[in-house]
Amino acid sequence: MPRIIFHLDLDAFFVSVERILDPSLKGKPVIVGGDPKGRGVVAACSYEAREFGLHSAMPIKQAYRLCPQGIYIHGSLKEYSRFSKGVKKILEDYAPMIEQASIDEFYMDFTGTQKIYGSMIMLGNKIQSEIKRLLGLPSSIGIAGNKTLAKIASDAMKPEGITYIYPGMEKEFLANMPIQVIPGVGRVTLKNLNAKGFFFIKDITKVSQDYFAAAYGKHGIELWEKANGKGNEYLNPPQERKSISKERTFGNDLIDKNEIEETLFSLTEKVCQLLRDRNWLTSTVSIKLRYSDFQTLTRAKSIKATDDDKLIFDTAKALFKKAYTRRVGIRLIGIHLSNFSEFSDQEFLFEDAEIKRNKMFKAITKIRDKYGFTSINYGKNSK
Amino acid sequence: MKIPKIYFGTAGWSYKDWVPNFYPKNQSKNFKWLEFYSQYFNLVEVNSSFYTYLKPEMVFDWTRQVNRNNDFLFTVKLHQDFTHAKKINKEKIKSVKENLDILKSEERMGGLLMQFPYSFHCTNSNVDFLKNLIDEFNEYEIFLEVRHKTWQNKKAKSITFCTIDQPQIGQSIDFNPIAGNDKAYIRFHGRNEKAWFESVNNFGKEQTYEEKSERYNYLYTPGELIEIGIRIKEIYEKVNKVFIVMNNHPFGNAPANAFELLHYLKEVSKVKMPETIVRAFPRLVEISK
Repeated sequence: MPRIIFHLDLDAFFVSVERILDPSLKGKPVIVGGDPKGRGVVAACSYEAREFGLHSAMPIKQAYRLCPQGIYIHGSLKEYSRFSKGVKKILEDYAPMIEQASIDEFYMDFTGTQKIYGSMIMLGNKIQSEIKRLLGLPSSIGIAGNKTLAKIASDAMKPEGITYIYPGMEKEFLANMPIQVIPGVGRVTLKNLNAKGFFFIKDITKVSQDYFAAAYGKHGIELWEKANGKGNEYLNPPQERKSISKERTFGNDLIDKNEIEETLFSLTEKVCQLLRDRNWLTSTVSIKLRYSDFQTLTRAKSIKATDDDKLIFDTAKALFKKAYTRRVGIRLIGIHLSNFSEFSDQEFLFEDAEIKRNKMFKAITKIRDKYGFTSINYGKNSK
Repeated sequence: MKIPKIYFGTAGWSYKDWVPNFYPKNQSKNFKWLEFYSQYFNLVEVNSSFYTYLKPEMVFDWTRQVNRNNDFLFTVKLHQDFTHAKKINKEKIKSVKENLDILKSEERMGGLLMQFPYSFHCTNSNVDFLKNLIDEFNEYEIFLEVRHKTWQNKKAKSITFCTIDQPQIGQSIDFNPIAGNDKAYIRFHGRNEKAWFESVNNFGKEQTYEEKSERYNYLYTPGELIEIGIRIKEIYEKVNKVFIVMNNHPFGNAPANAFELLHYLKEVSKVKMPETIVRAFPRLVEISK
């Protein structure tokens, strides 16, 4: 059965989200990235900005020189990620299998679904319009027999294009494309290949695989295969999350225990939020500590399954106190949760059997009331 | 995907700072706010009933004002004497029921909302208190809002627990859509953490409208509403009715967010809304009918 892989790419994603937040940005050169006078790079730019020669990953200072009239926005990764979740939710209604390659790129495997969906182009169109209608985001879709080709295809007609590379047409489709469209061909590789006379994909397919193997090793073989329309035909299955962790490296090494604990606290808040988002409980809390001389320690403790910030923080704090024995600055602190279980189902109230359960919650409440979780929360954060 | 019946509206409709962001600036002599409101929403949560015992003739007049919208329902917040002060007597019960019965006989009754404060924890005595209160009003649909985390993951056969979105402070209950009795009742308080926290310190003090409202002064971002919408859609299969109540009322944020959330939840391209709100919130232009 021929493989059918979709690659969906959200067009100028960050800019599209910014335009939903502020429609007055439509039709204007918009650049999302760091401070235009600073050291950052362009994270995304609108098609209008691209006409000035701007592209993503360009140093933002250079972008500003080329397009001083552009509107420079710092952006909010958090908001973009919410929209990305919305896209994934729509795709889940259609695709038997999805691989999210990045915040704005998704692969979908539709192999064997023609009987359900009929035309794959029409299906692409339906998905595209639903994303536009519900979320206001434009996207492009590439359809092909493998991931590499699907990605090249989605990029071939942007914005809001659908490109289907029919089986058997792969080489023809690729022949006249410049080699930089092949995923993985960066600036250095491109320069190197151009110097040897390779400009178009057909230039690569004219020589043997052995030549590329000899000239570029493993990377060369991959490149030759991609140029010949070959690529991974299967998506990577979603990885089951086995742990949740957050760590922070300090700009200057820290020696003040309170300050380190404050950081540990804010990291705990974050991992606990992720834990609750998944409706999980953790039974193992670990901390990671790196001294300024790079000596690194990890310490773990098993606890009763919980998603309670305070209990988790108390465990992490105790581990830290025990582990931090040297009078040397700390370069990094991290918290790591593992050994998960699902939160139990909802419980009924007003039934006699529930009295027992109430006792348990009463006990938890008592602990919380006694130690005043709110005051810890704000005491730490308000400093 | 099965989309349940969605009742959507705001907590209260009579806010002076909704002019001109929702209600037009130039209003004719006969202009009635609820009548205007009911052209765009099919639900309103009556909040004034929390502070006062309403006059039956006023309640009756409201049912007349929403005449043009067959779908329109009221939900009524139970007086604070029941949920906060816990000073209950027969007279008060009678007064509340009289108004609820008007709505019932006019086929406009959505349910009775019992909202308890954050300090109302899940303890045996509180569960008993609640049981008696629910028994007292068992002829009505009851929606129960509790805010402390000890109530998380509880449900009951006779009532619908409200789902709330609120600033995540201390042991506040998380946003986690609850389906109960084929229904979900979801209230949005905004996420103004700073003002919410400060309001705890000001509890009981005399405050101006602006001071009191500040804790609800929050406009959800489109991304936040998508995230919320995804969670709500997860319970679509379990419910027949979803009640959406936006309580982030200052400056018309509540109706603006209600339209945005409705667009996402009902999966419609366009939503009927007044021009006034599109002018005040330009990002609504893409979804306005």
